[in-house]
Amino acid sequence: MRRSIFLPIVAGLGFLFLYAPILSLVVFSFNANRLVTVWSGFSVKSYSDLWADPQLLPAAGLSLQIAAIAATIALILGTLCAIALVRFRKFRGKTILRATVSAPLVMPDVITGLALLLLFVGMQAVIGWPAGRGVLTIIIAHSICCMAYVTVVVQSRLTDLDLSLEEAAMDLGATPVRVFFDITLPIIAPALVSGWLLAFTISLDDLVIASFVSGPGSSTLPMVIFSKIRLGVAPEVNALATIIIGVVSVGVLIATVLQLRRPRVAKG
Amino acid sequence: MGELGRVVRIGADQLSSFDGHPPRRPQPWTWVRGALAAAGISGRALVISAPAAWLTLFFLVPLAVVFGISLATKQFGQPPYSDLLTTDKGTVQLTLHLSNYLKLIQDTHLGENFWTQFGVYAVVALVAFWLARGVSKIAQPAAVAAIYIVSIVATVLLIATLYTADLNVYLTAFLSSIKIAAISTFFAVLIGYPMAYAVARAPDRWRNILLMLVILPFWTSFLLRVYALSGFMRGEGVINNLLGIFHLGPLVMLQTDFAVYVGIVYSYLPFFILPLYTNLVKLDQSLLEASADLGARPYRTFLSVTLPLSTSGVVAGAMLVFIPAIGEFVIPSLLGGPSTQMIGRILWDEFFGKTNWPRAAALAITMLFIVVIPFMLMQRAQNAVLEGRR
Amino acid sequence: MAKKPQLAADTRPWRDPNVKPFVRIRDVTKKFGDVAAVADVSLDIYKGELFCLLGGSGSGKSTLLRMLAGFEQPSAGRIEIDGQDMSDVPPYQRPVNMMFQSYALFPHMTVSQNIAYGLKRDGMPRLEIESRVAELLQLVKLAGYEARKPHQLSGGQRQRVALARALAKRPKLLLLDEPLGALDKKLREETQFELVKIQETLGVTFIVVTHDQEEAMSLATRIGVMNQGEIAMIGEPTDIYEFPNSRFVANFIGSANMVEGVVTEDEPDHVRIRSQELGTDIYVDHGVDCAPEQILWWAIRPEKIVLTRDRPGAQPGIPDGANIVKGFVEDIAYLGDMTVYQVRLDNGRYMRVTKTNALRGDPNAISWDEPVWASWAGSSGSVLTN
Repeated sequence: MRRSIFLPIVAGLGFLFLYAPILSLVVFSFNANRLVTVWSGFSVKSYSDLWADPQLLPAAGLSLQIAAIAATIALILGTLCAIALVRFRKFRGKTILRATVSAPLVMPDVITGLALLLLFVGMQAVIGWPAGRGVLTIIIAHSICCMAYVTVVVQSRLTDLDLSLEEAAMDLGATPVRVFFDITLPIIAPALVSGWLLAFTISLDDLVIASFVSGPGSSTLPMVIFSKIRLGVAPEVNALATIIIGVVSVGVLIATVLQLRRPRVAKG
Repeated sequence: MGELGRVVRIGADQLSSFDGHPPRRPQPWTWVRGALAAAGISGRALVISAPAAWLTLFFLVPLAVVFGISLATKQFGQPPYSDLLTTDKGTVQLTLHLSNYLKLIQDTHLGENFWTQFGVYAVVALVAFWLARGVSKIAQPAAVAAIYIVSIVATVLLIATLYTADLNVYLTAFLSSIKIAAISTFFAVLIGYPMAYAVARAPDRWRNILLMLVILPFWTSFLLRVYALSGFMRGEGVINNLLGIFHLGPLVMLQTDFAVYVGIVYSYLPFFILPLYTNLVKLDQSLLEASADLGARPYRTFLSVTLPLSTSGVVAGAMLVFIPAIGEFVIPSLLGGPSTQMIGRILWDEFFGKTNWPRAAALAITMLFIVVIPFMLMQRAQNAVLEGRR
Repeated sequence: MAKKPQLAADTRPWRDPNVKPFVRIRDVTKKFGDVAAVADVSLDIYKGELFCLLGGSGSGKSTLLRMLAGFEQPSAGRIEIDGQDMSDVPPYQRPVNMMFQSYALFPHMTVSQNIAYGLKRDGMPRLEIESRVAELLQLVKLAGYEARKPHQLSGGQRQRVALARALAKRPKLLLLDEPLGALDKKLREETQFELVKIQETLGVTFIVVTHDQEEAMSLATRIGVMNQGEIAMIGEPTDIYEFPNSRFVANFIGSANMVEGVVTEDEPDHVRIRSQELGTDIYVDHGVDCAPEQILWWAIRPEKIVLTRDRPGAQPGIPDGANIVKGFVEDIAYLGDMTVYQVRLDNGRYMRVTKTNALRGDPNAISWDEPVWASWAGSSGSVLTN
């Protein structure tokens, strides 16, 4: 079939649209001028500003901790949820569970944030827990939205997994729990890793929900960044963004290469 | 027959042990299972109940709490809302305030004949749409198209009617949120479809790289990407610097609705591309070849084969853009101007600025009702994509 | 217990009413929603048998196999294996192993880990596992492949690993779902014989599901033909082919010319059938359970019909004008070992006749458009009443 030139051009422009702002941000993080949008020579001053910033780095540390814990909770619960949705035959409430688990995926953050805050305030008034808001409440809130992503990722991998592999293990004498740990888990492991990473990223990135459910002294990285860039250009944020983009790109690149080199699992 | 001889030896010597499996080694967790089974709890129930309980407690219950508090009133104190249940001399009294919902429509001056016009257009639009769907299989294509056009015209008039009214700040924000989300979704589809199509049809070795390029922004911070975009479109930003070379501009882009459209498309594009890509990549190439073989030109093949088969991918992706865009807060506050009133921002101000929690809750509940229809559409489309149906 | 010398009676336990069946399937029905995938099937399978379940797709053969393995529960009826009711026994406790159609080799384990998996579950000591795995690899001729992963093997090698894994626990009963389905024709024929050899030496009872009738014929001690969830016929391969019990079986196995007819003579030693469709009378030289004027069907295999240029003389015992029909050759398919003739009868019907090509490049062979006579013996066809 003759390939038209239209498609590559449109796709190319699309990718340009996606990447041009990011690239300009990276380039201008090495700008000597405080007015970040006019190039006036190479400098790493923004990076030393970042290093000296009293708020950004501690907030980054806190955000990393929160993201790691929230992603782990989301991974466990999301995987269980995916198993229930894919592997269990009809059970009461399956449709409701399916809808509920994917609802946070699209639920506007302001609603989720507000709802959880009101719940936490109410719970504190009634049962005295959680006492005040802070890291714990952010972790709980993030685990809810991240769970949806884990479920989607694991669900699609489980759907592709040949059911007869699990049956074969059971046929050879493995109990269902055993089958899960011996067969299912190792085979879906890559999906679990990407699910966890996705959850981690989402938690690390969240501004709105964290703003609602955080308390004094528990400002996460996006909250600090938002307060800085709201007022205009902030060179140290450019530097931080460049570092984050660098780390993520290298990570995704490694993952892609590993995936390409991994032998295809033969089917049939 | 040396080899066969060996075979016989294994077989014949050990035939006696063929009659049974060796005894199973007792497993340490057997008694746990036994105990659970005795209590009537199966492993399945445990697997389901853990995530279900977590979701109920921290997702469904909170939504109910929001609804409850939307029926309270603002008061000073901690927490800053009135109790729904009060005990007065031994009697429990339930006080529900609808004032928060009434406030949402107060100070709105509808024009004369507003409801008549609104009703007529709504009925015409719905009936025409329903009719067109109903007869699409049996009637002439031109007739079906004509009925669709009637439906679209009625819808446009319906929207125009809304703008004739003098709406209060909340209704304006709702309307403008829906408008901004819809326009942005439209452009996301327009830009995202060719991209998803190009990735899905790319040669094998390119496909993974292109897919990675689509996913990569997904992994970087959303907030930082919006920030990058604001730097790009700012008064002395990259675009205006480029325009300056040609002695054009400067264009005012930041703090306009336009910037919000660009921001939403920019941030949510990967969300649209991915489900559509999953759908398109499953599309059987031989269907396209069959269509071409039967004499269809490429654009005809696209319109009559590819597009109809990818509808559920488009719907799922579009809803992933549309629904969160309605409640978007970060993009309007960083890219939009003071006149860009979106409901997420109003809710935020109501909550953080005016500390009116019950009003914010009422806004959230109203917003929920707006997103529930697109959400159901998305669920249906997503199930279709997951199960390979179309 | 050594295998007994292979006397005819011993190898056919189903002919001995005193032998207890090893697998008993009693009135088993399996419904998915409203659809009965398996409908009221009863079946006995004996120790040491190689039983083939043969049927088209959707005939319920795989569902029946999965019920034996324990992956599906019967909606009604019961399954006994070696005298034990299997109703409440989960798959991982059944004395049964299965070889899957897709082989279902664990992709993240090596060949020897795959084979050893079931033994480990039984808690067998490590050294014993190692020697058992080595024996099995020897058995399936894959010694030296221990450390390979499944994706590094060819289709035939994978099939043999799957077989070794299923045999590893020395099951009393081995279930094989389309065991040769994924192999190409040449490899399939070789493997067929190996499979039978292994089955005979190990003495395991095999139940094989297949859609390939040639495979079923060459492997099986007995075949169960399945159609729409029901067993259409159970019998030894020769019975199934030569004495089908119904029109379905006659058509499903091999090819057959089938015509409708009316009984005109019904005697204890012969039956005469008048067939409008065939345009002649059919004389059957044995008694049939039927009544005069009854409408029934008669089927004959293409190779049982003789084609001649000249009208052959009357056959002894057959009345003149019966079992002979005139036509002309409309089409010929030369297949090498034999030739298929499409004969157009005088009444416009077609008859299919095959002839073995015993002579090399026979110059005298019947050719296109020649007028021919087709005739057959009194015992060649089958009378089918359902």
